[in-house]
Amino acid sequence: MKVLLEKLLVNYPYVAAVILFMIGALTVLTRSNLFKKLLGINIMESAIFLMFVAGGNIRGGAAPILGEVNPKSVYINPLPSALMLTGIVVSVSVTAFALALIVRLYKSYGTTDARRISQLRDEVTER
Amino acid sequence: MRDFILKRVAAIILPFICIYGFYVILHGHVSPGGSFAGGIIVGLSFIAYSTIYGIEKGRVKLPEKVLTWTESYGTLWYGIMGMVGIVKGAPFLANKLAGVDLGAPGALSSGGLISLIGLGVGIRVASTMVTLFFTMMEEES
Amino acid sequence: MIASITANLPVFVVIAPLFVAFVLPTFARRMRLVEGLVIFVETLGLVGAGYLASIVLRQKGIPIIYQLGGWPAPWGIELEAGSLGVFFLLVIAGVSLPVSLFAKGNLTEEVGSKERVARFYVLYLLLGGALAGMAVTNDLFNVFVLVEVATLSCCGLVSARNHPRAAEAAFTYLIMATLGSTLVLGGIGFLYMVTGHLNMGFASQELGRIWQDYPHVVWMAVSFILVGFGVKSAIFPLHVWLPDAHSTAPSPASAILSGLAVKGYLICLLKFLYSVFGPELMQKFAVHRILALVGAVAIIAGSVLALTQEELKRRLAYSTVAQVGYIILGFGLVNTKGLTGTLFYLASHAVIKSTLFLAAGAMLAATGKKNVRELAGVGRKMPITMAAFTVGSLGLIGIPLFSGFIGKWYLLLGSLEAGNILSVAVIIAGSVLCAAYLLPVIRGAYFEPGPEEDWKDPGLPQKIALILLVAAIVILGVVPGPFLELAKRAAAELLALQ
Repeated sequence: MKVLLEKLLVNYPYVAAVILFMIGALTVLTRSNLFKKLLGINIMESAIFLMFVAGGNIRGGAAPILGEVNPKSVYINPLPSALMLTGIVVSVSVTAFALALIVRLYKSYGTTDARRISQLRDEVTER
Repeated sequence: MRDFILKRVAAIILPFICIYGFYVILHGHVSPGGSFAGGIIVGLSFIAYSTIYGIEKGRVKLPEKVLTWTESYGTLWYGIMGMVGIVKGAPFLANKLAGVDLGAPGALSSGGLISLIGLGVGIRVASTMVTLFFTMMEEES
Repeated sequence: MIASITANLPVFVVIAPLFVAFVLPTFARRMRLVEGLVIFVETLGLVGAGYLASIVLRQKGIPIIYQLGGWPAPWGIELEAGSLGVFFLLVIAGVSLPVSLFAKGNLTEEVGSKERVARFYVLYLLLGGALAGMAVTNDLFNVFVLVEVATLSCCGLVSARNHPRAAEAAFTYLIMATLGSTLVLGGIGFLYMVTGHLNMGFASQELGRIWQDYPHVVWMAVSFILVGFGVKSAIFPLHVWLPDAHSTAPSPASAILSGLAVKGYLICLLKFLYSVFGPELMQKFAVHRILALVGAVAIIAGSVLALTQEELKRRLAYSTVAQVGYIILGFGLVNTKGLTGTLFYLASHAVIKSTLFLAAGAMLAATGKKNVRELAGVGRKMPITMAAFTVGSLGLIGIPLFSGFIGKWYLLLGSLEAGNILSVAVIIAGSVLCAAYLLPVIRGAYFEPGPEEDWKDPGLPQKIALILLVAAIVILGVVPGPFLELAKRAAAELLALQ
């Protein structure tokens, strides 16, 4: 038990990423407000970014920029950060598109609640 | 009174913000940032201008045609820079193999094609941000 | 000049649609120029894919490796045009050319104004480029980027109509697809942290060496990637977004979404399972049993659900869910015949489902009705359209002389070789159910009397498109020759990776 707690404390970024991922996933699946679903997606993606960037970190390593300072012995891995820049761009695009869709849905149905929208849609098809 | 202060301060600061954005774009291979972050900063300077001075003045500075052009051709610029390598016999997106002179690492010219590609991408990102903003704002009215 | 074009062909096949997509918005007003450019670039793609296929067939299966930027393998992104890549490139080019011919002149009434049509074509070309990239890429993160491009283009295509249901279907699709992408990215992260490589070849070598030190991480990577791609390719319990999305999209978009986009994600899943994890790891973690079981359930459930649908397009959408089950079942058969059957069935389903959706779209547009019962008598008024639908249905059921039969035959052989009798029973039961939900449509269209309305066949480009697709179905069924050879080589390549 003590070993487990110690391992969890040493790997705190990954623990944080897992907790954030679970919070995001629960928000997407259980909340019916469309905005909250979108925020849940954002939280999940942030969790994955955190996991990647923490995976590239080396404790005591220097920032990977070639400068006038004496070269340290260890630089942290710059590749995951570069990959996550692409991921952040993707996340921003998805958010923008989803917001445009929410605006369109609000104009057609007058509500941003997913359950209410499916109720209204079933009423329309019954008529 | 509040409008007055905002307009005066913005008139002084926004050009510097725009130049700072271009600085971040061009120094992408030397310092953190790069094309995407720099493009966002440039776009934000234009969005701040539209917010403070009004949408119509923003539209006068960036009409729809200009925005469509910069979006399309900014991205095409990326492709054209990639083809530079193919013309010289190297694979797509080649930098050193395409005969570009990479100077001392850490200097501005050491990126070769990277800064140029970044410029195209940055302008494109800026115009996308501004287009999104204008679409959302004009939707309301 | 020609030499440099052919040497860079793997990259050109991916970026040519993207270049045209970038410049399309600037001349959105001139519709004929837009449509002409789209068809031109699709034709170039078909020619390029065919040439690559001939090179790879002549080279006896040694893949063409292309390094972006000239950087060699662990540092740079690698494109590998092997048998599998070239096979899927041919499928993509062969299906998107007829669909873009069908969309010519047909889109304005479904989508709206000219700018919207130009945007539709932009998304269409972006999707084509992303799928071509998925076929040839050999880099893990490149797969993620292309998957995201494809997802956003698909969501844009689904929301192209002005109908409120389109927006709702697109939003559901976007949320679920992004959930899938996040899971895939997580899986790629686990693989990178454990192996330290992003190149698929290097990662699989490293994984074979060190997986015993990190069994839990590899397990998590497999599950994340399986569920992530499962959501995107509509494997049975995760298929919920598909019927709404594919039935509310415009007809060319439905054809491309059901025919190609779903298959692209399945090809990525195939690459991950066989090229990165490898057949031995799959069998050690019993992934192949899970796949076979999930595939069998998907076939039966999808077909039964398709029987209950009244709208034609929804019936075809649930049929896609069932056919994806066939392909997943084939993934679980870790032998050459099974994988050949899966790949051939994937190609044949792409062509068949596009034919069915295009024909259905033409019928729905001409008659204005949506349900199967209301389409009585269509066969006599729109002969070419209904003939295309009939050929597509017979191909899907698996009648000999059409392409579906060869795929199912190899799947049956593969199941018998793997000793999986349940799969044999499910494959045959699936064919019977497929006949049960498609033949009534044909019977109603030809043999029932219909109202005296003025229903006509669609215009000339649409007829050419339907005839091209029908010809492909028949040719693949009667003389599969080189295509089947490519599929066999691809299966052998996938299994030979240790």
